[in-house]
Amino acid sequence: MDSSVHLDNVVMRFGGFTAVQKMDLRIHSGEFFSFLGPSGCGKTTILNMVSGFLKPSEGVVRIGGEDMTSVPANKRPTSMIFQNLALFPLMTVAENIEFGLEVRGVSKAERKKASDRLLELVALEGSGTKKVSELSGGQKQRIAIARALAVEPQVLLLDEPLSALDLKLRQHMRTELKEIQRKTGITFIYITHDQGEALTMSDRVAVMSAGRLQQVADPIALYRDPKTSFVASFVGENNSIAGTVVESRSGEVVIDAGVLGKLAGRVTQPIEKGQRATLFIRPESFQLGSGLDFTLPTILEEVNFEGSYLTLNSSAADQRTLSVQLAANQYHEDMIAGRALSLSYNSKDAIVIAGEASDV
Amino acid sequence: MFSQLTNRFGGPLSAALIGLIAIWLIGMVILPQLLMVDYSLKPNLLPSEEGGPKDQYSLVNYATLFGNTIHLSIFFKTIWSSVLVTLLTLIVSYPLAFYMAKVATPKQAALCLLLLLIPFWINEILRTFSWYIILAYKGPLNALLLGLGLIDRPVRFLSGDGGVLIGMVYAYILFMIFPIYNAIESLDGNQVKAARNLGAGWIRTHYRVIIPHAKPGIATGCIMTFMLAAGSYAVPALLGSPGSRWFTQIIYNWFFEGGDWNQGAAYAFLLLVICIGFIGLVMKLFKVGLGDIAR
Repeated sequence: MDSSVHLDNVVMRFGGFTAVQKMDLRIHSGEFFSFLGPSGCGKTTILNMVSGFLKPSEGVVRIGGEDMTSVPANKRPTSMIFQNLALFPLMTVAENIEFGLEVRGVSKAERKKASDRLLELVALEGSGTKKVSELSGGQKQRIAIARALAVEPQVLLLDEPLSALDLKLRQHMRTELKEIQRKTGITFIYITHDQGEALTMSDRVAVMSAGRLQQVADPIALYRDPKTSFVASFVGENNSIAGTVVESRSGEVVIDAGVLGKLAGRVTQPIEKGQRATLFIRPESFQLGSGLDFTLPTILEEVNFEGSYLTLNSSAADQRTLSVQLAANQYHEDMIAGRALSLSYNSKDAIVIAGEASDV
Repeated sequence: MFSQLTNRFGGPLSAALIGLIAIWLIGMVILPQLLMVDYSLKPNLLPSEEGGPKDQYSLVNYATLFGNTIHLSIFFKTIWSSVLVTLLTLIVSYPLAFYMAKVATPKQAALCLLLLLIPFWINEILRTFSWYIILAYKGPLNALLLGLGLIDRPVRFLSGDGGVLIGMVYAYILFMIFPIYNAIESLDGNQVKAARNLGAGWIRTHYRVIIPHAKPGIATGCIMTFMLAAGSYAVPALLGSPGSRWFTQIIYNWFFEGGDWNQGAAYAFLLLVICIGFIGLVMKLFKVGLGDIAR
């Protein structure tokens, strides 16, 4: 079955405010697709347009190739998992799961069969007669998933469903969601501001900022080849160094970063000489010492131990703070604040993007 | 509970608070009611006979009602009409309360509330009397309906119970709207969205999600409206016809025209008992507890 979602030149305006800028995006059938962005970037608005709670100001939402404009929310082949789950507190767990089937006029026996099967899928067999208030956070989460799956949707919409859970449970649920998606083959559209969630679970991620699509790519490409400075700084940690392009070769440019000297990095889109540009280096791409292509002398400011890795913050010649990530076993006693520290990187591990970095 | 009060307000203030409440309850509610019960159990005597051999407790005053078929039928008609008023008020109020709580923007909701409240700045008698004018045989409503060609001869709204029902629905609508509005307002909007998202149409969404949540509010509104309707005097007196007398009018007559306070007290007490019993029954039927209502 075709359960692709096509946002065909969709725009959403609220009064004078444009929540979603013109967007043309195809989400493939059976894909785990995430919208990643800070709060207020318009990602929930997109979900509401797909589910039918909002009518786009312009453009058309297509599900499985079909125009959804005149299809009301209760007739769409979508199912939503809400941020606060929105389980019905006055119904039992089984009644919650069966609600969508009850609406469709499925017989009581069939409904019971379906809810038993779904409770098994989410590993909560036998809790059908419980009240919603008797469940733990993680269990409620799973009931919300079961309830959404009960109606056999073509598209499952997830609005930051893990944000209320604690870290361990969140990590566990990530694996579980991915597993359920694989088993059911349904298209998942996942909304989150947590890049870890987006990167670990998704087939593709759309990064959004201020109602605009910044980049749509698979997680690895997104991390390695950010197309805009917003993506470079929002997805993962990044050190940014601004400068003017002085040399532009194929696939690589050199910028003049003032007191930091001339630095080179990869480009995915060519930048002309004389333009302002920003060089991004991931904290894990720095090495201590001067063994690689370019070396930056710095003064160590602080050492943060974070378990499996260390983060060193050090101040470069222009007072900018650069952070370096090292494996925990690289810790050394003489890493103390105030010491001189040389950081070096290979130009292939840095990326240069036109324009000044935006603050994230 | 007293220790909680003293912790918060200190000893003297909490004693004063409890004292005031006690004075209110005992002096204004319990004692007058007991006095009424006492009255109702005694015969209507001349001052000179008080304390004499005839001054004895009996249930004669209560038996009067059951011996008088006219009074008895008015009694049951009052209960039944009050049920009708309550249902009509509920039917009118629920959509309005839902609109204000979940559909309207805050500005629209505020405007709606204001429009509902303003008429209540005018006293009940005047408001009821304006309905008397609106519903009159040659009044504006009949003129309008005739003008629109919806009827070809004026309707006698004020004969029979129609006028009383309309007047009461209007008089008590706020007592129904506010509790329901409060209850629906506290419903998480995502609950409605979730029901819609799972395929429920509007009717099922109301029936399965919104009404169960709003049940305590609906119960509170119904109880208040029913009590006010059953105990109403002004509306039936002004908008009623001779055929639509209210039981309160009979009680009034015993007190102030028959001069028989003892008989009047017995009638009033019977109305109170039936009303309370009726509310208890309704609460049981709808599985609403006292705690839900006080919420």
